Amino acid sequence: MIESKQYDFDAIVVGSGISGGWAAKELTEKGLKVLVLERGKPLAAGTGYLGEHASNWKLPYQGKRPRELYEEEYPVQSKVWFAFGEANRQFWNNDKQNPYAMDEGKPFLWARADVVGGRSLIWARQTYRWSEEDFKSNASDGHGIPWPLGYKDIEPWYSYVEKFVGINGKKEGLPQLPDSEFQKPMPWFALEETIHARLKKNAPDVTLTNGRVAVLTEDLPGRSACHYCGPCHRGCSTGSYFSSQSSTLPAAVATGNLTLRANAVVERLEYDSESARITRVHVIDTLTGERSAYSARVFFLCASTVGSTQILMNSTSESFPNGLANSSGVLGRYMMDHTLGVSGIGVFLDNMDSYYHGNRPTGLYIPRFRNVGGQDKDADFVRGYGYQTAIMRMDWQTGFNARGFGAELKDSLRKPGPWIFALAGFTECLPRESNRMYLSKHKVDRYGIPQVVFDFEWSENEIKLRRDARKHAERLLKAAGAVLILPQEDKMSLPGEGIHEMGTARMGADPAMSVVNAHNQAHDVPNLFITDGSFMTSASCVNPSLTYMAFTARACDYAVKQLAAGAL
Amino acid sequence: MNRREFLQCAAILVSGLGASQFSFSLSEEQSAFLANAPDFNTRAVNYFSPAQREIVSAMAEAIIPRTETPGAVDARVPAFLELMVAYWLNDEERAVFDAGLHDIETRIPLEYGKPFQQLAAPEQLKVLQALEDAASDSPWYEFGNVQREYISDAPFICQLKELTVWGFFTSKEGGSQVLRYDPMPMSFNGHTPLAPDDSSWTTPL
Repeated sequence: MIESKQYDFDAIVVGSGISGGWAAKELTEKGLKVLVLERGKPLAAGTGYLGEHASNWKLPYQGKRPRELYEEEYPVQSKVWFAFGEANRQFWNNDKQNPYAMDEGKPFLWARADVVGGRSLIWARQTYRWSEEDFKSNASDGHGIPWPLGYKDIEPWYSYVEKFVGINGKKEGLPQLPDSEFQKPMPWFALEETIHARLKKNAPDVTLTNGRVAVLTEDLPGRSACHYCGPCHRGCSTGSYFSSQSSTLPAAVATGNLTLRANAVVERLEYDSESARITRVHVIDTLTGERSAYSARVFFLCASTVGSTQILMNSTSESFPNGLANSSGVLGRYMMDHTLGVSGIGVFLDNMDSYYHGNRPTGLYIPRFRNVGGQDKDADFVRGYGYQTAIMRMDWQTGFNARGFGAELKDSLRKPGPWIFALAGFTECLPRESNRMYLSKHKVDRYGIPQVVFDFEWSENEIKLRRDARKHAERLLKAAGAVLILPQEDKMSLPGEGIHEMGTARMGADPAMSVVNAHNQAHDVPNLFITDGSFMTSASCVNPSLTYMAFTARACDYAVKQLAAGAL
Repeated sequence: MNRREFLQCAAILVSGLGASQFSFSLSEEQSAFLANAPDFNTRAVNYFSPAQREIVSAMAEAIIPRTETPGAVDARVPAFLELMVAYWLNDEERAVFDAGLHDIETRIPLEYGKPFQQLAAPEQLKVLQALEDAASDSPWYEFGNVQREYISDAPFICQLKELTVWGFFTSKEGGSQVLRYDPMPMSFNGHTPLAPDDSSWTTPL
């Protein structure tokens, strides 16, 4: 269909994470010859998951974290408490070898994977659709610039990717959290049902529903329903959770159109001012340092928000002295992340004679209930937040500092204690010009590429949202029947800690105000598409990966149609 | 092999990566070690003296004794303690542990006429209880003070208890015969009955 004699490939995709995997799948399935470049190490799907199903006694130091090693080589990644550990450390970036910089007094946690599949291997798998209101919020409250499209434009693409991803959840019919294409929902703990009933009566303004997660409860081709072993982030050889490794990359390989090159860090994109196109991508082999270049008709940047913008900033030319596709000057700016953290912890003595079997890989979810359908009278902030919940039965791990010795201590430690139910608020972040990343003028990495510098601070709105989330968490735990509520501080998470960094190459209708158009196509460079989190013009309060996937699939459809029409 | 070299080996064993991926080269001793180290936690560590090893064993067993189920010694907790003290504790923490162990080693024979490991169970308990009473102001005992890596200035008795309890419940014996272990549940059920004597599940760390 497409003449590609004079090009090495039809399309080149930078990054093999959740967005890059989708670009690879969509473009190869539409008949394009595609090269995927990944800076991380190769990883064999399934068999490369070295820590999968390792028992606690097989983990070094039986699970006590090797602090000295972490402080020295993984000071950033080891802060990702929910997913980093000895069972999957090979998936992660070595911070010592891959440094970045921060403006003084402005810490930023940049979580990075270092394998094929990227962060799709270690994500928390929460998948929520944006609502109509999310797409309208910038236009209605004046923060940031309006989205050039609405929910209706992306809705069919949500459905399209969801059917392939495999998401389990429960239909609720909420306008602020549209339902996805669901597999059957995962069951609940007895205490969660008790809490659900009490909230219905005592706090009818909130909905407690299933966490919507990209984990199968029904088999899909080549992938099995979850076996509930628990720690998904070690990798899943049965492909029960969605990752590039389990799902999109195998689909792309099956077309025969995919070439995947690992250990390949992209230095820059080469722009040809005559054709006003990118012509080649310049690559450095991470093991040998050898340089090479590849040409293609169309380029997809899916290297993560920070990674993609770093490449653009490092791709300067006479036409684009301030970074490729940056005639607007907004590249690197309007960066966002979700603030997150425990908003409330309650101790419960209900359902004490009820227990569980199996490790459910998600908690429940309380969708946004503040400023829904209009500004709440008592809200001194705009936008809102949702809660992810967590449940656990206290055990030896929460009581190993007990007093006493002998058979009595042993017996009390081996038995379950009271229940704990916690609410963790995920709050929306406003797009602000001052929150940005840029390239260091002095520091380079081991490839000679300028290091990324972060300059990011929470605004008053995020701080007020966090405060409100803590206040309402206390109300909800009380309404749910907690016998004890452990006091929480109004502490902000570190910028970047949400691992939802977004913005920096934002989407908009006006080329003077934004980097990409409504099809994720760079205003300045028609054969460049940017479909990872960098295109996000606002942040919503829900976990963003599903939205990246839907926009990536949509952008691929558009790009291939443009190629066929001879427009690219 | 020095401590630094050992930690490098630990890093390789765990990640499954070859040494070439790391920014250092291995000594001959390290290479030999790696070739003969199938399981990180069960290699012999030679840190305590034979007498100290007996004391540590007796203390661990007094904290988590064998009942109708395995105890600390059955679960190789003494070897775990030696591994942790030798390689996991930092210098400050190790100094506290060493001093505490030295105190037991030298003081108990003077006070009781025989070493700790030869005392009858009630006497051993009395020794441990006295240590706990003397340490009772330590923040280590505060309710819920468990969401942390380690308390570096915790007294000897607290270190001993933390590492013993941790080593026991994360061991194969403690984790599968005292706790319940099912690595492959295949389904999730949030409504199973819990009898008064039932143990917790082992949860993956």
